[in-house]
Amino acid sequence: MANVQLRGGIPRRRFLGGALGTAGVLATAGVAPAQTRRTSIKMMQVSHAYSNGLTAQLGEFEKKTGIKAEIDVMSFPVLNQRADLELASGSGAYDVIQMIFIRTGRWIRAGWAEPLTPYLERDKDVDLPDLVSGAVSPFRRGDTIYALPWLADSTVVGYRADLLDKAGYAKPPETFEALQEMAARIHTRDTAGFVTQDNLHWIWPNWLISYGGNFFANPPDDLTPRFDTPEAIRTAEMFTTLLARYSPPGGAKLNTAVIHAIMHQGKAAYYLDGFGNVQRIIDTTKTQLADRMAFSNTPSGPRGHFPQLAVHGYLINPASKKKEAAWEFLRWAVSKEVMLKNALEHGHMACTRSSVLNHPEVKKKYTWRGSDMPALHEAVMKRAGEGYMTYRTVPQFPPLGDRVIIALTAIASGQTSAADGMKALQRDAEALLRKEGVRIKG
Amino acid sequence: MSSRRRASRVLYPVAVGGLLLVVLFPVLWLVLFSLRTELDSFRMPPQLLVMPTLQNYVDLWESKFLRAFENSAVTATSTTVVSLLLGVPAAYALSRAGFRSERLLSFWVLATRMAPPIAFGIPFFLIYKELDLIDTRLGLVVIYLSFNLSLVIWMMRAFFDGLPRSLEEAAYIDGAGVVGAFVRVTLPLCAPGLATTAIFCFLLSWNDFFYSLILTRSEALTAPVAIVNFMNYESWEYGKISAGATLIMLPVVVFSLAVRRYLIRGLTAGAVKG
Repeated sequence: MANVQLRGGIPRRRFLGGALGTAGVLATAGVAPAQTRRTSIKMMQVSHAYSNGLTAQLGEFEKKTGIKAEIDVMSFPVLNQRADLELASGSGAYDVIQMIFIRTGRWIRAGWAEPLTPYLERDKDVDLPDLVSGAVSPFRRGDTIYALPWLADSTVVGYRADLLDKAGYAKPPETFEALQEMAARIHTRDTAGFVTQDNLHWIWPNWLISYGGNFFANPPDDLTPRFDTPEAIRTAEMFTTLLARYSPPGGAKLNTAVIHAIMHQGKAAYYLDGFGNVQRIIDTTKTQLADRMAFSNTPSGPRGHFPQLAVHGYLINPASKKKEAAWEFLRWAVSKEVMLKNALEHGHMACTRSSVLNHPEVKKKYTWRGSDMPALHEAVMKRAGEGYMTYRTVPQFPPLGDRVIIALTAIASGQTSAADGMKALQRDAEALLRKEGVRIKG
Repeated sequence: MSSRRRASRVLYPVAVGGLLLVVLFPVLWLVLFSLRTELDSFRMPPQLLVMPTLQNYVDLWESKFLRAFENSAVTATSTTVVSLLLGVPAAYALSRAGFRSERLLSFWVLATRMAPPIAFGIPFFLIYKELDLIDTRLGLVVIYLSFNLSLVIWMMRAFFDGLPRSLEEAAYIDGAGVVGAFVRVTLPLCAPGLATTAIFCFLLSWNDFFYSLILTRSEALTAPVAIVNFMNYESWEYGKISAGATLIMLPVVVFSLAVRRYLIRGLTAGAVKG
C-alpha cells in the first residue's frame, strides 16, 4: 500500500502511528479505580502500629462478615489535609475515617460524623463501658457518641534511672520546679537534662493547667483566650527555659524520630512525651540502653497533676453509601479481640479498653523495670475524663494551637521574652477567635 | 607560563571542587542516609564511614512505593509528551502567524500560571469529584497539562522567534508545505529548545506534591506524597524517606545527563544578542 503523504509532507502512516501513540499514552494514564461487585468499604487512617495490626487481620474480618475492607494508610500531615477535604466536599469515597482529636469539635459541629448511638444501642457487644471514659468523652456530645476510640496517647515521663541515681535522685522529680532543678544539675554537653517533642501546644499544657492556667477562660462555653495571665507567662518561662538551656541543640524543634534517636544514644536523661512512643524508646534492636530506662507520671504543679491526652477514633462518614458495612468494620476494629491482638502482636500500647490494659499478658508485656505502664496509662485516661482536656476539642483549637507553637518557639529561641511573647500571643489569639465568631470577654 | 596563570590553574579547580562539595553535600548526605541503618544515621557525632546496607531499598521495594513511583513516571512522561505535542505547534503558530490578537492570546496562555496552585485546589477537587477523575492518572495529567502547556508555549515561542523565517521560506521553494517545513526544518533546529522544555515539563510534573496530595487517594498516588507517608504517627522512617528521595532523583539525573548537551545549548540560546 502506498504511504500517502498528508499536505505539508507528513507520511500518513507516521501520522497515524503518532496519533495511536498519543492515544496509548492517554489510555495508560487514564486508569480508573477498579469497581468491585461485592460489598467493599474503604477506610483512611494515620500510619500507626494499630493500622498495621488491622491490615494484618483484615482477612479475618472479611471471613467473618463477607465485607471487603481496604485501609488507606497515610502520614499525619497528609491525613489532616485529605480527611478535611473528603468530609467537607461530602465525598463518600471513604466510609470510615479517623476522627482526629483536635478536629473533633469542628467535625461534629459541621455534621461530618454519623451519630453512632443508634448502632451502639442495637449492638451491645461493643461494650461501651469497657472503653475508658476519658477516651470516649471527646467524641460525646450530650448523649450522642460520634466516634469510637482506638488510640489514647497520654503524656508520660521516661528517664535514665542510672543517670538520675548518679545525680542523687532515687525517683524522678514530682513537681515542675524540681524537674527544672534536676535538669540543671544533670545537663552536660553530652547528656541533655530534658527533651520533648516539637508539638509544643500539647506538651506545654502539662505545665500550664497544673499552675491554674488554660488556653481559654472556660471551655467550651467561654472561649476568651487566657495567654497573658501570670500562670501562662510563668509556665511559658519555665517550659521554654528547659527547651533553651537543658535540651539538646534545637530543643524546640525536635520531632519524635529525633527524640527517639537521642534517647537511644543516651544523649538525654529525661523525656516527656506520648505514651504511644514508649515502645520505640525501649526498642532493644535500636538501643543498648533500654534496660536503664524507667517510666513514671508527669510532674505536678500547685493545682495538681494534669497529664495531657490525645484521643483518636474512627467515625462513619455521613456521605457513605454503605453505613451498615462501615459500622460492622468500626465495631470490629475497636473490638476487644482486635485491640488485644494489636497490643500483644503489633506493639500498640496506648489502648483504650480497660479489659485489654488489664489483661495479664498485656500487663506482663508492658511492665518495664517495675513500672506498670498499662496502669499508668489507664489512670491518665480516667483523669483526663474529668474534663480538663476540653480546650483541645473546641472547633477553634487547630489554628490557635499553631499560634501557640510559634509563640513558644520564639520565646525559646530568645527572640522575645516570655511576658512579651505571651502578650503578643494573646492579641493574636483574640483577633483569630473574633474572626471565628467567638465573643471575647474582658 | 606566568606564576599568576600557574596559580589560577591550581586555584580554579580547587575553588570549583569546594563549591561543588558545598552544593552537593545535602544530596550526598541524603544518599548516605539511605544506605545506613537508623542507628548509624543518627549517631552523634555523625560518622561519614559506616558499613552500608541496602535494607532501606529492600523495605521500599516491599512497600507500596513502587506503585507510586510508576504513577509518577507515567503521569510525568504522559504530561511531557502531550504538552510538547500540543504546545510546540501552538508556540509555532503564535511565533509565525502574526495575527492581531497574538499578544493578548499569549498573555491569556500565561494567565494559568499567575495564581498559586492552592487557589485552584478546591475548585479542581470539586470538579474532579463530579467527573470521577479523582485518584486517576488521567486526572493528574490533565492538571499538569494546565500549567505545563503555558510553559511550553512561552519557552518554545522564544526559540522559534530566534530562527530566521528565510529557512522555512527556502523549504517552501523546495516544495514543502507549512507542516513539512515545520517538522523537517524548524523542529530539528530547535532540538536544544525542545530538550530544555521537555526537562522543565518533566520536572514540574515529577516534583508536584500539592495536586497529588489533594487529587489522589491510593491508586494514582505519586512518589513525592508516598514519601511523606513514611512519616508515621509514632516516628518517621528516615531510611525509607531517604531511599525514596534518592530513587526520585535518579530519573531526573539520568534524563538530564542524557540531554545535557542540548540542555546547555538550549539554556544559552538567545543569551547573546545578534
